[in-house]
Amino acid sequence: MTLITMLTTMSEGMLRTIGIFVLTLVGSLPLGMIVALLRKSRFSVIRLLIRVYISVIRGTPLMLQLLVWYFGPYYLFGWSIRGWRFPALILGFIVNYAAYFAEIYRGGIESIPAGQYEAAEVLGYSKGQTFMRIILPQVIKRIMPSVTNEVITLVKDTSLAFTLAYQEVFSLAKQISASQTSFMPFLIAGIFYFVANYVVAFIMERIEKALDYYK
Amino acid sequence: MIIEMKNIRKHFGGLEVLKDISFVVDSGEVVSIIGPSGSGKSTLLRCATFLETIDGGEITYMGERAAYTVEDGKAVYVPHHELRHFRSYCGLVFQQFHLFPHYSVLKNLIDAPVEVQKRSREEAVETAMGLLRKMGIEDKADAYPYQLSGGQQQRVAIARALAMKPEILFFDEPTSALDPELTGEVLKVIRQLADERMTMVVVTHEMPFAKAVSNRVLFMDGGVIVEQGHPLQVFDNPQEDRTKQFLRVFER
Amino acid sequence: MMKKIIATLMAFTMLAAVPCAAASDAETASGAEAASGEDFVFKHGFDLDYPPYSYRDEKGDIGGFDVEMAQAVCEYYGWKYEPVPFNWDAKDAELNAGSCDCIWSGFTMNGREDDYLWSKPYSDNTQMIMVKKDSGIEKLDDLAGKIVGVQTSTSAYDLLNDEEGQAALAQTFGSLEVYETYTIAFNDLKAGAIDAIAIDVTSGNFLMSGETDYAFLDEALGSEQYAIGFRKDDTELCDKINAALDALAKDGTFDKIGKKYPEIYDYLTLNK
Repeated sequence: MTLITMLTTMSEGMLRTIGIFVLTLVGSLPLGMIVALLRKSRFSVIRLLIRVYISVIRGTPLMLQLLVWYFGPYYLFGWSIRGWRFPALILGFIVNYAAYFAEIYRGGIESIPAGQYEAAEVLGYSKGQTFMRIILPQVIKRIMPSVTNEVITLVKDTSLAFTLAYQEVFSLAKQISASQTSFMPFLIAGIFYFVANYVVAFIMERIEKALDYYK
Repeated sequence: MIIEMKNIRKHFGGLEVLKDISFVVDSGEVVSIIGPSGSGKSTLLRCATFLETIDGGEITYMGERAAYTVEDGKAVYVPHHELRHFRSYCGLVFQQFHLFPHYSVLKNLIDAPVEVQKRSREEAVETAMGLLRKMGIEDKADAYPYQLSGGQQQRVAIARALAMKPEILFFDEPTSALDPELTGEVLKVIRQLADERMTMVVVTHEMPFAKAVSNRVLFMDGGVIVEQGHPLQVFDNPQEDRTKQFLRVFER
Repeated sequence: MMKKIIATLMAFTMLAAVPCAAASDAETASGAEAASGEDFVFKHGFDLDYPPYSYRDEKGDIGGFDVEMAQAVCEYYGWKYEPVPFNWDAKDAELNAGSCDCIWSGFTMNGREDDYLWSKPYSDNTQMIMVKKDSGIEKLDDLAGKIVGVQTSTSAYDLLNDEEGQAALAQTFGSLEVYETYTIAFNDLKAGAIDAIAIDVTSGNFLMSGETDYAFLDEALGSEQYAIGFRKDDTELCDKINAALDALAKDGTFDKIGKKYPEIYDYLTLNK
């Protein structure tokens, strides 16, 4: 296999990896916020459910969760899982990352001084306005470093898609390495992950800088 | 009459913080509330500005009842959406300023008028700039709170409360978080507002200030108003032992 | 603490549900009911990490002896071929859930006779020891005290851990290093980090193609056969595949495809 063929084949895997990455973020960043807010719900049943959800997700490996998402519908309900592989994969990633983001959001929300809520209340802001205009912008600034960490972990975690045999870059690297008895594919994958994380770190740094206008 | 609080009761857990307190503030009055810490001064302000709910009693703003006591002695409030209307009557200046750090000074002043009161942006900006001018910090309109001194931040906080055009302004120890050399500039602003006949209630430890600026002084201790009256009377000729005892600490 | 216990319990409840449900619902996933028509889609389950039976070929496409044979069978019946690459560790879940119709990927039947419905075996496979030619290791006994590498979840690995297999021999090794892939193990052998590799002869031939410094010991570790594994109730499909294998062996297709894979050609059985 020529290097060009190897790169061409693996570039498809890279696109799939980026696909997992982007879809996971698009789904889990907002879902995490909903989870974080539900965790403070007035209803104790919802609070309990959310706490169970977060501890199950954090207490079990993502790889296992992916298997449950993919095979679960069949083994639990006898449903056909044809065409379910990719949706299950993305769902698994989103639900997993949402739990981690929810905890980051919760920490951020709790770190905002009560005085901010009181000042907003006295000025007549509604609960929704207070959250969207006063609290959330400050939360985002405070949690950026933790979110960056999590996003970088996600870049590397995408390789767990091999569990469901999704042909992302690391699966392809393993396969091509086996058929070509060569380490080159791993080197290519390594460079890809490094560059991807470099780009992520760069973007996150820009966002953090953009939020640096106040303290 | 701007506000009337009648037979206000409030307890936290088993601790009774306000024991049947009644008082009235008339338009243009400046009332100072003094007293040792834990006497219920701040709680009274927080009840008046709806940050805390009273357990019993009655709160009336501009002749409209916001909270009243039903037969079993428990206080009930008007529905949530009506309470917002009552909130617009009062402003509160906190000890710790509580400016919004992510907003510029100007944005701190215009956001609530525009977003909550739905006033036009142009008018809100105009009002805000006028207030900043009055506070002597016109040049700080585009600065962020962290770039200001404590005294400047507190003046912005006062301007923010005034930008809502309240009928009455409450101050909760407005100079306690400031270095001594910065308290003067904040007190000067409050004095100026008093000259303009702004209705104000000031919880403070600045006795000379209270004496010079207020029309009436309330001395609170243990959840009750022990004594009230004209500042010259309360400060120079207190009737109650507890008042004398408290003031003696400040004379030294 | 309580939270952790709950989390663990939840996880295990979900896992425990897997085999129970699998037993009762397996028939719903059976591909056999439709296996007669032209519209039948044959879902070929395989591992892409197993050259040259199923792997990424020179062009980066899915290929290999098993893949080409499965395609030939589909052509024979006019079925539609659908490749289902899976993660080898999840192969049973994939098969039982019906995401594939068979495991056809250099799959050893020995020791698993009762776990699947098996096609006729189509390839022999011997487990060998690969060493550097100049290593001085000439027979299995010479491995005493040496470091031997093996890939996890392979026949060679199973054999070295099986009391009835070569576990006793493995006891004499200095150590047994378990690798994720043979590529890494082979690299360690080249680098001198290990002394020998226990490996299927076919995989070993594949690794050594183009290399001159390595050889198998004459003594084999063990021997077994490859066949196609089906769900146990899927007799109709199994019969059809067996019939097709016979026909393709007879008309020379099996031999023709086999010739494309010299590393394993000698071990293929249906053409002899």
